[in-house]
Amino acid sequence: MISQITKRDGRQVPFTVDKIANAIFKAAQALGGNDYQTAYQLALQVEDYLENTLGNTTPTVEQVQDVVERILVENGHARTAKEYILYRAERTRVREMNTRLMKVYEDLTYQDAKQNDVKRENANIDGDTAMGVMLKYGSEGAKQFYQMFVLNPKHAKAHSNGDIHIHDLDFLTLTTTCCQIDIEKLFAGGFSTGHGFLREPNDIQSYTALGCIAIQSNQNDQHGGQSIPNFDYGMAHGVAKTYKKLYRQNLVKACQLVCGLENAPEKIREMMDAIAQETGLVPVLAGDNGYAQEEARRLEILIDREQIARVQEFAASSAVAETDRSTFQAMEALVHNLNTMHSRAGAQVPFSSINYGTDTSPEGRMVIKNILLANEAGLGNGETPIFPIHIFKVKEGVNYNPGDPNYDLFQLACRVSAKRLFPNFSFIDAPFNLAFYRPGDPNTEVAYMGCRTRVMANVYDPQRQVTGGRGNLSFTSINLPRLAIKANHNIDFFFEELDRELALVVEQLLERFEIQSRKKVRNYPFLMGQGVWLDSDKLGPDDTVGEVLKHGTLTVGFIGLAECLTALIGKHHGQSPEAQNLGLDIVGFMRKRMDEEAAKTGLNFSLIATPAEGLSGRFVKMDQKKFGILPGITDRDYYTNSFHIPVYYPISAFDKIRLEAPYHALTNGGHITYVELDGDPLKNLDAFESVIRYMKEAGIGYGSINHPVDRDPVCGYTGIIDEVCPRCGRREGEGVSIAHLKRIGAYKNYNADTIGYHGDPAEEAQRTPNSLS
Amino acid sequence: MQNTVQNPINEEEILVGEGVGFERIRRITGYLVGTLDRFNNAKRAEEHDRVKHSVDTQLEQI
Ligand SMILES: [Zn+2]
Repeated sequence: MISQITKRDGRQVPFTVDKIANAIFKAAQALGGNDYQTAYQLALQVEDYLENTLGNTTPTVEQVQDVVERILVENGHARTAKEYILYRAERTRVREMNTRLMKVYEDLTYQDAKQNDVKRENANIDGDTAMGVMLKYGSEGAKQFYQMFVLNPKHAKAHSNGDIHIHDLDFLTLTTTCCQIDIEKLFAGGFSTGHGFLREPNDIQSYTALGCIAIQSNQNDQHGGQSIPNFDYGMAHGVAKTYKKLYRQNLVKACQLVCGLENAPEKIREMMDAIAQETGLVPVLAGDNGYAQEEARRLEILIDREQIARVQEFAASSAVAETDRSTFQAMEALVHNLNTMHSRAGAQVPFSSINYGTDTSPEGRMVIKNILLANEAGLGNGETPIFPIHIFKVKEGVNYNPGDPNYDLFQLACRVSAKRLFPNFSFIDAPFNLAFYRPGDPNTEVAYMGCRTRVMANVYDPQRQVTGGRGNLSFTSINLPRLAIKANHNIDFFFEELDRELALVVEQLLERFEIQSRKKVRNYPFLMGQGVWLDSDKLGPDDTVGEVLKHGTLTVGFIGLAECLTALIGKHHGQSPEAQNLGLDIVGFMRKRMDEEAAKTGLNFSLIATPAEGLSGRFVKMDQKKFGILPGITDRDYYTNSFHIPVYYPISAFDKIRLEAPYHALTNGGHITYVELDGDPLKNLDAFESVIRYMKEAGIGYGSINHPVDRDPVCGYTGIIDEVCPRCGRREGEGVSIAHLKRIGAYKNYNADTIGYHGDPAEEAQRTPNSLS
Repeated sequence: MQNTVQNPINEEEILVGEGVGFERIRRITGYLVGTLDRFNNAKRAEEHDRVKHSVDTQLEQI
């Protein structure tokens, strides 16, 4: 008589015939059967069989299941047996996934980030902190759950076997990727963060403070980054308010000190209010709006006529200098805040980007100059700021050529980038960007999310092909090298398979969009609740967001064009013109497919050159297992990023730019080209600028120059450090004497916290902002 | 028993920075990362393989 059964985890539990009968009954039910009695009879046969074959030993679950299958087949219930086998396989799959998840959890728990690649999947999340690990538990658990119960099994399979990669899968049912926040619109009239209402800001300091809060609040509603597409235009209002305030204060001061005006604060305020009310004029940085003349007339009744010009001149020049200083401090605070403020339960600073460069108003120029100088100065100890990503918009006639009103700022941008890696440069004159540009409407100037996402065209609402209030909804990338390897040099077959893969991904993006569409405004308290997303201000808290989400993009990405080409024809696009042509055919094919889908659905399907942080190793690891090590294809630990020429391939900066530029025109969902410069680009700013200019001429949409930025925290040196620090002479890990640090002027004080560690004294000396000439 | 050093500090002998590495800021998929420790394995390999792109030869042409 069997009384126990051994479960998979080794535990013994009571054996009951009912359980077996139930399992058989369920399998039969799936085929339309409802005869429990027969199921029970069969279960008794199973018990008999077990007793006869096993005697007194305790059967395992596996043994019992094998016998069930056998008895079913022997009794002529072949179809039920099949169903039972399926049921069993499904249970096994679920169990294995559970086990796998538990294994992931175990590693997350007991390994630190140094050992655990999952913890380092995203370089900007600290995988060693409590909140960082908690995020990972949630993320890994969510991924498994979605793959088992939410995703279409077809898509789950394609994802898990590495044909495609569904990005941000852990957020599948929760939210969308990113948003370009129109701060001009957001600040007008103030906004609420969900934790309190914030009035419309009144000076540049509160403008930047609120800018940070907006980024942080939105970041908590989405899984990607946040960008401000019109940073200069938006912040310029804050500068104007600060100037007005400081002008009044200085006018009061002058009238009091020079002219002995009594009750100056009240009288000046009354006068200025009257001017504003009657003429609409306020003091402005440019001093060109007729305010000064109007004020001069009215000052006659308050102070000595002879003094008016002098007083006004004092007020204006002091206010300009003080506004400049205040703006610098505001920008310094913004950079500092965005590098230290936490979102997502404290494990991550918000992924933030700001676009600027084209506002030619004196206020806008002051913003641009000071945000650049603040980034150049670095953080408290001279560290290179990691956030926000700065994107300098280059435009002919605005800042590109000598004589353009903001050319000086373009040159400053080159200098800062040569030191701090930011800003990157975007090019409004690239034909595919210029097509949307309407002079005088900043909302039509292309903007990029720092990671490269681009949201511009709008088939859903062609009247609003703008940057503000829009973003990516989700994206999924295709493993191009695998398709190419499988095609075995047959290019026609490759394109057929690519077409099938694209269809699969389009279907997956649409199914995900369906899930996203059912969300309500209240699920996104800031993004939708505060009207940040385009048209969300027309919705109530319980309205679904599907309709307004159509302003966003659904995006297909790709990785490893270089390896794909090598697999198909033996060379990548850096090596042969034939490969370049084929590369353009492939990417052009994908783009055409997106355009067709957009036309068909009225949704913004687009193609992105995938930023592949977590992905670059995942695909190649699986393909190494599948196909072995193939030279030039699977022989490294990563696949090359999107359409890039492989990083290890020697090529001149100009050839690289020339070859990659045409792909920018095709990848309307985002792109970036990098050039790696040797040496310290600060020593050759002309070369730096010439590379940026070449990008513009070649038709690049978004580009950047990489160069080593090292820092010795002991002496504060920032620049290139090979083996030995050029300033203090120490090697990595070596100590250096206090006397030596003192001799080289790199020593501040001696206590446990700051012992020798501080900023760059040479750099700190330069930290006064230049005046606006 | 007090263990305080009464002698004036010999600043030639007191070393600071032992065990302290250099920070190396690198760009990875558009974002800057403060230290290579946080790169995942694939990205670390990619960063290691990067070669510089020369600009000298063609400067005159543009
Ligand atoms: Zn040093």
